[in-house]
Formats: sequence, C-alpha cells, structure tokens
Amino acid sequence: MKIRPRTFKIVAMIFAISLISFAAWCNDCMDIDADVFENNKRPFVCFSHDDHNDNAGIEDCAVCHHVYEDGKLVADETSEDSTCSECHAVEGDSKQMALIARYHDRCRGCHLERKSGPVTCGECHKK
Amino acid sequence: MHSIYSFVTGPLAWLAFIVFIGGSAFRFYSLYSLARKKDALVFEYMNLKFALRSIGHWLTPFGTRNMNLNPAMTVVTFAFHICLFLVPLFVFAHVIMWKESFNISWFTLPGVLADLMTLVVIFSCGFFLYRRIMLPEVRYLTTAVDYLILFIVAAPFITGFWVYHQWAGFPTMTILHILSGEIMLVAIPFTKLFHMFLFPFTRGYMGSEFGSVRMAKDW
Repeated sequence: MKIRPRTFKIVAMIFAISLISFAAWCNDCMDIDADVFENNKRPFVCFSHDDHNDNAGIEDCAVCHHVYEDGKLVADETSEDSTCSECHAVEGDSKQMALIARYHDRCRGCHLERKSGPVTCGECHKK
Repeated sequence: MHSIYSFVTGPLAWLAFIVFIGGSAFRFYSLYSLARKKDALVFEYMNLKFALRSIGHWLTPFGTRNMNLNPAMTVVTFAFHICLFLVPLFVFAHVIMWKESFNISWFTLPGVLADLMTLVVIFSCGFFLYRRIMLPEVRYLTTAVDYLILFIVAAPFITGFWVYHQWAGFPTMTILHILSGEIMLVAIPFTKLFHMFLFPFTRGYMGSEFGSVRMAKDW
C-alpha cells in the first residue's frame, strides 16, 4: 500500500496533537494568573493542584483561597472563584513585584514551615 | 535542607550584614584614631579640591598614565568593578527578596544582561589570577591571602551562574551561593576588599599631597 504524503501529514498531525494533549493532561500544569505578568523574568511555575494537595494533605481550600476583610482572615469563607491578582496585584506595578512576593510567601513560607517542598528559585521556576 | 535554608537566609544573613556594617564602622574608627595618633599631618594636608581632582582622574577609564601603560588591565578592572557592583544589587532574583523582606524594590537588569555581566566578573577574576601568577612584579607582592580573596569574590558569581542555569545540584548550590555572598560581606571590613570604602581617602590624600605640597600630578 502506498501512503500519500497528505495522508501521512494528517496522521502525523493527529498523533502530535494527541501526544501534546496527553502530556498536558499528565502534568496537570496550572500557570496561575499567567496573564497578569507582562514580561515574566523567570519560567512559569508548573503547579499541579490536585497532586500537590494530595501529597501535602491539604483539605482546607482556605489555606490558599482565603478571604480577608479589613486585614483580618474571615473564617469559613473561601475564594476559589477569584484569581489571586484580583486582590494582590498592584496597579501601575508593571513587574507585579507585590504579587510575586505574595506567591513566594504563600508557597515557600508554607514549605519552610512544614520542612517539605521546594524552596530555592529553580526548584519551582524550572527551565 | 529546609533548616539549612532557613538558617542561611535568616540569622546568618542578619549576622553577615551586622558584621559588614559594624565591622566597616569599626575599621573607619580605628584607622581614624591611628592616623590622629601617629600621623596627624595627614589631616593638615587633606585638600578637597586636589583630593577630588585625583579621585576623578583615577575613576576615569584611561585617565591616568598607569592605565595607559596597562590597557588590558584597565579595561578588565573597570568592567569587573562595574559588573561586580551592578549585578548583586540589580539582578531580579535579589530585588524580589528585598521586596519580600522589606517591601522595597527598584530597577532590575534584564536576565541576559545580568548573565553576561556575571561572566565578565568570573573571567576578570581569572585574568587577575593569571596576572598574579604570571607577572613577576605582581607575584612578588602576592601572598596566600590574595588568592583567598580572589576566590571569595569569584565564588558568589560562579555559584550564582550555576544556580541561574539550574545545572546539576543547583538547590545545594543555592545554599552555597548564599553562604559565599555572606562570607564576602563579612570579609569586606577585614581584608583589602575594604578599599571599596577606603579608596576615596587614600586616593584623596595622595592627590592632596601631590597637589598642594609637591605641586605635581599623581595620575
């Protein structure tokens, strides 16, 4: 049987798309708030939400998806429906230094407290 | 790993900055007292105009005869000192930590530029090492401490480059990077690295003496 170049191209394309989708599905990567950053200086962090919470044994959503009012943590309220930048981004700060600092505090702070999880730059911002 | 990270970025970092600032203040005080006691004429001869004139010449690339006699050394030493200062103060990864710790931030260098400037520092250190070994007049003045100081200065840049490119073992290298920076900070007041603060005074005095006493140029 002779395979026509066009058929070959289509099959190859379908194969490639399936492979990429499968890889993405396996990684379950989330680029948290990626579009807030105009020119990111470091590679985005691949955050696998469900794997992370299973490993860390986190069941309380409010650990990360918290709600603050007048600087005070509101008990029994969560904020999964809003992005971090809705509260933590600073207008006019093109580099979003404040928002980055909040992320670092949240992730690295918790990792240091529990003595588990990545803490140095490259462990999260993988090239 | 987590305990070591907490220690080197917490108490040890504070200690390094305290020794750096306190040690430098102490060195200034003790050098001032020594000069007052042993060579009070230094203060009589000090002359702002001649001091600034000399400092200006020595801070200008090829502004002195000595610099024109050693063009390679002149180019390397200026490039080295500029990069040595700018990279640690303006590299993004450092500025974000000032933001996290003290809520202050400033201009940051593009990553590629910081990377190239780091290489300039590393290769300059190699050049200085080569010079110390190969030039008889420099080797004659060199002691073991000079090699150690060269290593102390190069280490934060070599480890920093390693960490930025995430080469093998970079998490451990990050700890070594922080440690090497702290060692350098602590070494500044107590070694010839103190010339970063002292040079305006030593050069200023020479400029004053040459300008107002010997009526000659010192560049």
